[in-house]
Amino acid sequence: MKAGQSVFATVSNFLSERFPVEHMNFQHMVEKKDVPVHNMSWGYYTGGLTLFFLMVQVVTGLFLLFYYQPTVSDAHLSVEFINKHVAGGALIRNMHTWSASCMIFFAMLHLLTSFAMKAFEKPRELTWIFGVLLLFLTFTFGFTGYLLPWNQIAVNATKVGLQSVEAVGEYLPGALSQLPHILRETFQGEASVGQSTLGRFYALHVVLLPLALLGLISLHLLSVQLHGMSRGVDQPTKKSERFFPFFIFKDLSLWSIVFLLLLILAWCIPFDSFLPYPLLAPYNALGSTPAGIKPEWYFYFLYYPLEMLPFWLILLATGLAVLVLIFTPWIFKGTSRKTLGLITVLASLYLVVMTVFGEQIYHMVKP
Amino acid sequence: MIDSVLFIALPYLAIFICIFGSIYRIRKMPMTYSALSSQFLESKSLVWGSVPWHIGIITIVLAHLFALICPGLWQMLMAYKNVLLITEALGLAMGICCLVGLIVLGIRRISSQRIQAVTSRMDLLVLFLLTAQVIFGIGTAVLHRWGAAWATGTAVPYIWSLFTLQPDLSYISDLPHMVKAHIVSAWLLILLVPFSRLIHMFAVPLHYLTRPPQNVLWNNPRHYEAEAAAEEILDTDARREFIKGGVGIAAGTLLLGAGAMDKIFAFFFGPRLTAKEETELMEEKLCRLQATTDQRKLELERQSSKYILVSAMSELSPTEGKYLIDYQMTPAMAFKGEDGLPIVLSAKCTHLGCTVGNTVNKEGKILCPCHVSYFDIKTGEPNADAPAKAPLPILGWALIDKAGKLIASRSSKGEISGDTSSESIKDCDLFIVKTDEVKV
Repeated sequence: MKAGQSVFATVSNFLSERFPVEHMNFQHMVEKKDVPVHNMSWGYYTGGLTLFFLMVQVVTGLFLLFYYQPTVSDAHLSVEFINKHVAGGALIRNMHTWSASCMIFFAMLHLLTSFAMKAFEKPRELTWIFGVLLLFLTFTFGFTGYLLPWNQIAVNATKVGLQSVEAVGEYLPGALSQLPHILRETFQGEASVGQSTLGRFYALHVVLLPLALLGLISLHLLSVQLHGMSRGVDQPTKKSERFFPFFIFKDLSLWSIVFLLLLILAWCIPFDSFLPYPLLAPYNALGSTPAGIKPEWYFYFLYYPLEMLPFWLILLATGLAVLVLIFTPWIFKGTSRKTLGLITVLASLYLVVMTVFGEQIYHMVKP
Repeated sequence: MIDSVLFIALPYLAIFICIFGSIYRIRKMPMTYSALSSQFLESKSLVWGSVPWHIGIITIVLAHLFALICPGLWQMLMAYKNVLLITEALGLAMGICCLVGLIVLGIRRISSQRIQAVTSRMDLLVLFLLTAQVIFGIGTAVLHRWGAAWATGTAVPYIWSLFTLQPDLSYISDLPHMVKAHIVSAWLLILLVPFSRLIHMFAVPLHYLTRPPQNVLWNNPRHYEAEAAAEEILDTDARREFIKGGVGIAAGTLLLGAGAMDKIFAFFFGPRLTAKEETELMEEKLCRLQATTDQRKLELERQSSKYILVSAMSELSPTEGKYLIDYQMTPAMAFKGEDGLPIVLSAKCTHLGCTVGNTVNKEGKILCPCHVSYFDIKTGEPNADAPAKAPLPILGWALIDKAGKLIASRSSKGEISGDTSSESIKDCDLFIVKTDEVKV
């Protein structure tokens, strides 16, 4: 901060550089926008694909909303009703689950490629932070949506998830140690996961989170269009293509191919078929928890280490990772793309290994 | 004997000749290593023969190879009804595609004078064998359905047994004749590869994909005439062609939209259930509502009464716990201890809150299935290396006889009071208690 400049001026300068009002016009944001062409250009499609899957989620989610009933006695049955009786219901529901997984996959891929391409450089710091928040929001969508079918694995996994939140309390000092407990009570709504929890998760999943997502994604897209694509490589190529109509047309044709694939996948392979029936049976509050309770695949990278390593270590690592992710634009300000690429490869390697081989590693460590 | 010749000797011979014969021919006669295309001689009917044939056969051969190379993955995919249906339908369609192509190619080869001039006996034999092979394939698909599923248990292990030099005929000895004929003529075709134009399958011009583009210059004046004529059509009819294309696309979009709208409408219109389905659904709904009502009743009962009935003492088992819901509305379970007194302990795992299993193992422990913690039912203590660190809380209980008289009780701290002789408690009912104030 320069001497004599007030905090207010600093903040307003910062914001006006990130959201330059003089650029907020069709000409600048669409007509004149260029997309650089180089061998990392494919990275520019990952964000669009995430957006595409989000749109599929919104549409199929609206479809499901017509039949789903968020009460403990009816939830499971209404999902079954959609699957069995409603015309195209099974397809819509499958698309919703498959597309949810795809959305999370591409959101993570988008984060990794943007990191490797150093897309968070000034003036795109806020774009990055909005993106990171969007990713967390997407995970929350996954967590809240998982409970809604109200089957054994859903309720039990949610119980474990919420209990893990509470376990954080032990490691917090003083009055803060009660915070996770209060948080859990707030989300759970009653002594154990029940009707209140279902109602809360439903409200979060279909109203609150979508609203938050809408706001964040508007800011994210606005800043992407304002600042254009980041150049992505150290030696910028002279080649580039116009965003409109060329890049957007390519984006749309990719979307149509992906939609076809999603349709085939959802039609042929029910997402449920990866789980044994006992886990898909309606939740039974009086019975034992069935074996094989685990979260969705996109939480494996957190879940298996949690099973194998001491809790405080995971807590520390997760906290650090979140902080690093949020402050990336400042931490890696001076890092070269080569180093960023290496970090990305290592991080991706960890994610892939934990997701694909997590279970085997767990059984190796704890026979 | 004949089976050994056809399914062991012939395959080895065919593979051997195919590999070494092809290498010999490619090395010694490189100029003949091609499809010997007759496109220059006749190209009109070739399009209608060659294109469907190649699209069909390439798809089918790739699918056969995929099933052969990754039988596990293939079988897993075929376990889904829809995938199997699509595969079978696509396979049959491609087979028919092949057959149509072959018939056109066959007629062309026989009827065109210019083609006749370059046709050898080997060409005719190959054409005949291919047709027979495709007919056997279609026959198998129609008469012995779901080959995509059963082949991984028959033909695939048979071929692998050949590759691993442990030929095993038992996989295919009981197959229908149609399928056997399909296998034999496949070996014959492989045998003929080095002697026929079939060898062109090894000359797939994959490098075309990566080499720089080349400009083909034609020396034939007739070609220029044809090109000029084509351009003229383009110039004069451009507008008409554009409108035709536009109308086509619009019509296609309209049809697609109508189809999609129809399905979307059906979704929102909702299912019209038969009376039987409706009844079943109603019953199921009532059943679930009843379960919820029961749960609510339990809650109410826990609000208002000091004791909650668990079960009669005589119904408790030392090895299999009886689940109950405690005053905190969390699961608990009751056993009969060695001393004849009941044991009531929480079933909510102290690690992450899963419900602990109710079967006691030989060491007197119960298992939480989520993260494998064993708890001693007497003390509630977890085993030393379990993820759960705290013991399962032992709950207080009361034994009340049929007359409603309190006979014995245990506080949550473990003090047992009252008459605990087995004679006096055997007809009692077990209750859990709200507070420790309940004492004899």
